[in-house]
Amino acid sequence: MSDSIPIEDKRESWEGPIPLPNGVTEEFWAGTVDGEFRLQHCGDCGEAQFYPRVVCKHCGSMDLDWEPASGDGTVHSYIVNHIPGEEGFGEFAPYVVAIVELEEGPHLTAMMPVDGDDVEIGTAVEARFWQISDDTAMPVFVPA
Amino acid sequence: MTMPVNPVMAGVAESDLGETPDRNWLENAAIATMRALDDAGLSKDDVDGVGFAGADDYMPSLVLAEYLGIDLPTHTDGTEIGGSSFEAMVEHAAHAMAQGKTDVTVIAYGSTSKTGEENPYESGQREDHPVNQFTRLAGLFTPPGAYALGARRHMHEYGTTQEQLAEIAVSTREWASMNPKAAQQDPITVEDVLDSRPITDPFNLLDCCLVSDGGGAVVLVSPEKAAELDIVPVSVTGAASTHTHRGDISEMPDLTQTGAAQSGPQAFEEAGITTDDIDVAQIYDSFTYTVLVTLEDLGFCEKGKGGEFVEGGTLGPDGDLPANTQGGGLSYCHPGHFGIFLLIEATRQLRHEYEGDRQVDGAETGIAHGTGGILSSSSTVILERGVN
Repeated sequence: MSDSIPIEDKRESWEGPIPLPNGVTEEFWAGTVDGEFRLQHCGDCGEAQFYPRVVCKHCGSMDLDWEPASGDGTVHSYIVNHIPGEEGFGEFAPYVVAIVELEEGPHLTAMMPVDGDDVEIGTAVEARFWQISDDTAMPVFVPA
Repeated sequence: MTMPVNPVMAGVAESDLGETPDRNWLENAAIATMRALDDAGLSKDDVDGVGFAGADDYMPSLVLAEYLGIDLPTHTDGTEIGGSSFEAMVEHAAHAMAQGKTDVTVIAYGSTSKTGEENPYESGQREDHPVNQFTRLAGLFTPPGAYALGARRHMHEYGTTQEQLAEIAVSTREWASMNPKAAQQDPITVEDVLDSRPITDPFNLLDCCLVSDGGGAVVLVSPEKAAELDIVPVSVTGAASTHTHRGDISEMPDLTQTGAAQSGPQAFEEAGITTDDIDVAQIYDSFTYTVLVTLEDLGFCEKGKGGEFVEGGTLGPDGDLPANTQGGGLSYCHPGHFGIFLLIEATRQLRHEYEGDRQVDGAETGIAHGTGGILSSSSTVILERGVN
């Protein structure tokens, strides 16, 4: 089964956006509160994708299965965000926002609650989940 | 491929810019439109095509037409691809013109980005949005953060420096110092840019465009209609558009290459000219990096050489490629969607409307390239003095 990704309960303190799962995104969010970073894999071309869709963005197939990802990846690019981009992020500023390349292939944009000096392009990172509602936990990344 | 017809930029105008606390977004668009029609020597009764983007209304061309009392237009365009929408609308108008659907199309924009309420269509990040329910949790301050992620990757792959990015802001400010309408006219240095407050490192404040109120409009007419008007004609001879992603920068296929690498060559091919022929360039400058990567993608220099290319004032008044000659989004104004102002300035330069150093001597050929979203959409328009 999956590598379980550590979950930190932030339900009391979180003041940022809380996603409202719908359609195929429900499967992803349901995984997060169990410590699973679920990725869709295409039954035809074999590619993985993020964010979830009803269609494979690579080949157009609708034959998609969910598999837990490792949550490991590398920093593809990053910035130091001095101005909070959303409500609820103020207490962390300045903080790093990175495009993470997951080892399964997909990229995603995510917060890294670390100092800018701790990150470079190519830095190995691993996922953590911050649980922000009963139904959702947001992925953040820290240096591995 | 060639343009089916070469529309003529018959009228161009801005509304008041900067801060317009007594105006709403639609008023700014309407004022710019009426001024542009006046510039062309036309009235609203001549208009048979309407384009409007960036509106606080999801049926934009309808709201502008209704407001101005333009009934039953035969060409309508509510294309919304961000700041480059107006360049795309020029392309669409050319095709409509070739079909005989329009002789006079107005393309407009208006906003109160600075003093007005936040535009819900700009900020509208519903928590059930299929994509934004993921994107928002990155806490990215966007658009600056998204463009900065591109810049950082470019720095990594090609050795581009913050100093080189800053050169773009410095050259642009030189142009702004000659434009009384520019919000920021005091000269700056590379050091000033590097010393300005960090926003989304590697971007500092002076790497980022202004936030302004204001509107702009252009009037495109058919070559036949242009012949009836008392104007210095400037023609559209090439236009092409594309896009790569929407609201999440991680969806961009390559952070160091925009859709301009496709739209640029297509537009140049239509016009039958090359980058070497361009006398004056209007390149969307939401951020310094936007200009650098776009210049590479359009082919003004090799991929990865943009930093070197802009060094030494290349884009300034004494440079080899005069660019953003009204002071750009970085120093003149940036009311959210800047693309309309690229078309306005390109036209004025090719009309030879200015005096002294503000005028690019003998400019015959120009480019207006819009970028929308977060390096998301790209739309190139080639313009040439005269009727083609």
